Amino acid sequence: MTVLQSIGSNEQAGQSGDDQQRLSLGTAAARNLATTTKSVPQMQEITSRWLLKLLPWVQAGGGAYRVNRRLSYAVGDGRVTFVSTGSQVQVIPAELAELPALRGFGDVNALRSLADRFVQQEFGPGDLIVSRGQQADRVFLIAHGKVNKIGAGEYGEETVLGVLADGDHFGSEIITDAGTTQWDFTAKALTNVTVLSLTRQAMQQLNGQAEALREHIRRMQNLPRKAQNSHGEAAIEMAAGHDGEPVLPGTFVDYEQTPREYELSVAQTVLRVHSRVADLYNKPMNQVEQQLRLTIEALRERQEHELVNNHDFGLLYNADLNQRIYTRTGPPTPDDLDELLALVWKEPSFFLAHPRAIAAFGRECSRRGVYPQMVDAGGHQMPAWRGVPIFPSNKIEISDKRTTSFLLLRTGEQNQGVIGLHQTGIPDEYEPGLSVRFMGISEQAIISYLVSAYYSAAVLVPDALGILENVEIGREN
Amino acid sequence: MWKSAVRTDAGSTEEEQRLSLSTGAARKLATTTKSVPQMQGVSPRWLLRLLPWVEAEGGAYRVNRRRTYAVGDGRLTVTNTGADIRVIPQELRELPPLRSFPDDNVLGELASRFEQLELGPDEIVVTAGHPADRVYLVVRGKVRQLGQGEYGDETLLGVLTDGDFFGDGVFTGNTNTWPFTVRTTTPTTLLALRRQEIDRLREQSPLGEHIQKNNEISAKKQNKHGEAAIETAAGHDGEPVLPGTFVDYELAPREYELSVAQTILRVHTRVADLYNEPMNQVQQQLRLTIEALRERQEHELVNNRSFGLLHNADPRQRISTRTGPPTPDDLDELISRRRKSRLLLAHPRTIAAFGRQCSQRGLYPPPVQEHGQPVASWRGVPLLPCDKIPISDRGTSSIIVMRVGAEDQGVIGLRQTGIPDEVEPGLNVRFMGIDERAVMSYLVSTYYSAAVLVPDALGILEHVEIGG
Repeated sequence: MTVLQSIGSNEQAGQSGDDQQRLSLGTAAARNLATTTKSVPQMQEITSRWLLKLLPWVQAGGGAYRVNRRLSYAVGDGRVTFVSTGSQVQVIPAELAELPALRGFGDVNALRSLADRFVQQEFGPGDLIVSRGQQADRVFLIAHGKVNKIGAGEYGEETVLGVLADGDHFGSEIITDAGTTQWDFTAKALTNVTVLSLTRQAMQQLNGQAEALREHIRRMQNLPRKAQNSHGEAAIEMAAGHDGEPVLPGTFVDYEQTPREYELSVAQTVLRVHSRVADLYNKPMNQVEQQLRLTIEALRERQEHELVNNHDFGLLYNADLNQRIYTRTGPPTPDDLDELLALVWKEPSFFLAHPRAIAAFGRECSRRGVYPQMVDAGGHQMPAWRGVPIFPSNKIEISDKRTTSFLLLRTGEQNQGVIGLHQTGIPDEYEPGLSVRFMGISEQAIISYLVSAYYSAAVLVPDALGILENVEIGREN
Repeated sequence: MWKSAVRTDAGSTEEEQRLSLSTGAARKLATTTKSVPQMQGVSPRWLLRLLPWVEAEGGAYRVNRRRTYAVGDGRLTVTNTGADIRVIPQELRELPPLRSFPDDNVLGELASRFEQLELGPDEIVVTAGHPADRVYLVVRGKVRQLGQGEYGDETLLGVLTDGDFFGDGVFTGNTNTWPFTVRTTTPTTLLALRRQEIDRLREQSPLGEHIQKNNEISAKKQNKHGEAAIETAAGHDGEPVLPGTFVDYELAPREYELSVAQTILRVHTRVADLYNEPMNQVQQQLRLTIEALRERQEHELVNNRSFGLLHNADPRQRISTRTGPPTPDDLDELISRRRKSRLLLAHPRTIAAFGRQCSQRGLYPPPVQEHGQPVASWRGVPLLPCDKIPISDRGTSSIIVMRVGAEDQGVIGLRQTGIPDEVEPGLNVRFMGIDERAVMSYLVSTYYSAAVLVPDALGILEHVEIGG
């Protein structure tokens, strides 16, 4: 390469010399004697990787980390998934088991015939899906769109109870409750909404045919309610007060029988360098070192990507469903971030969002004449909301419909927050939790190194992580 | 007091009967305290102060990068004779499918078949879902690319402006529909080329073969920046075969040679020898010359066609204002495209226009300290004045944002210290000799350049309207 280049420059120098009749040495010729200062190889993919910097890393000694929690009876409301063929939307039968009343029900045939009885309905923005006071006679599944749940306020006016969106459901009580009830809220479509609904009649009709279903519902109706706190955790009984001599309750703190274990995941690759390159071309930069540096940068980027997006432990997937909220209107407004702060209110550490989402948030602030203060985070000036810094990460992906998410985390093992897991002290360790092992030299004289990074992330209690979903970053007002 | 007024009147008749020494006479004895020579052209030169300077020892600096397959979306230039607008044939190579296409005749043929369209503000150019049967070039004006949002309403994908293009997929010959709607923001001039014209040329010329080849290149594994992929596997289970990988480098990396700003300072020996109290004449001459050279150096760092920041920015790192004036939204957009934005650089009048936009929204971004000086800021990034950024005769300017430093893969200044007869870092004054007329000459030279290590280190907000 060097030889080729110098020949090239010689030719150039010769030509220009002929043309201009130079009186002195040209720069092109002079450069053949001089050394070029070289940058180390640059790479566009490198980002700040704030998540990796900010997560407290906990040593997972045996390659696994078990999160022991108090016993919880909470039957979390799951989300239902749909398949759509054209404009026709259908609920996946097995997904109906996410409805509290059908939890644990495994008869696929009964679920399929139940799924077939759902009727698709479309609503435009502002349409009422159900009104308060009407008879509640059907269960609704929201296939797509956002719905405002509006209840009666203290003095008779309207008050927003919450926002429901894709996969949420309401009215599932009618499956178990036999008596007639009334809706205690109004459901109003915020956007174009597609819902699937199942009437009580259709339900009862099927109930008459499927013995297993009837049996299951009867069992769910008679399920004893156990003492629990607002998080669904088994209650620790205690007495408070001063008067009298009441018998004090005896208690113990029950644990979950099968706590979740996080195993360390691995990102790895085989780096190949020809021994000729590794032996000879090492001035001023060590070739292998540079190859390794860039490979490690790519691995670390992959690691951050996995920490956010892995279906098993990634933060976007590992957040509790009760810890997910939707934007009120679409773009990320100060109101939405306040709402998120109310969700992770115990010592929140930082927000994490795509830089474009942060810009969209800035736009909404500017529209309101609000200028969020910057806070100092490790020597960097970071935008903040209510004093909680907002860090950028391009690993939170933007969908092709231009929606993304805001994450809010509490970090640290002491605070029962989100922690990163790694293991240090592995053989041939190069950086904490990352090893570079020599694999051998092949017949073609190619040296191979195995580069591996081990990592995972655990959410110690569900309320350590909140997600603001369906953040629209291109919405024009 | 009125007496002295009389005196003055009388004095004008030359018959002055002073009682004491006049100031005019007194000044003949006194020394005048003199300022050193002043100069209006001196500016704070924030860019020179804040760029980290890296030594380029051999006079050149090579920026090694990871290999990219990116078929860079360049910008096309047009010529106009009167109202008749034509695209320059060679410029068509900026279209990804035509990149490095060798045949100028075919390009000329293509260029001659573009039709010119004139549209008013808020008109629809193409509609999502309709068949994509043309490629469009924006000659002048601003258009919005609108996609379909999550709930069926419109969402802004981007703003295109002078020299941008869309719909280059028609070259590949596949029938597609537009994935987005394009609507004009301002009165807009467009050039459009029909699919039929391209298809005809594809059959007659080597065009089809070339497009095929370009498709194969862009199908190579790459990350979203177009860099050759570093293959990694992630997961935990099983014993999958791991991908072997190596990091490929750019084979012909860009080299920045140090540029020079120089001048010959002439001082007559008589002046240099005699008039040196209280100030050294040569030194003062030199001081002002150096100031002027440094101003020129900053001007070149911004405007030089080869390495100047305004010209060296990647086309994908150039964005246009949404409406026209520099709004907080535009700066948010600009800052969101890179990490560690260190400084924003704008013409003082652009900063004033930005201040107006902030005040309109009731925003007051607090100033930050920079070298002990309070300066305007946005999102904590100092917004520094630089009068070297040109304002066009239509009252538009640009705002530059950058990340700096070699460690952060940012923008760096290049210079060489330790040159002979150095008086300041990277600047030397060499004695050239005395000629027959007794004039001494000094050669004053400064060597400099600036390098952008990765494209996203430098961003530019263009078409910033500062009037009104």
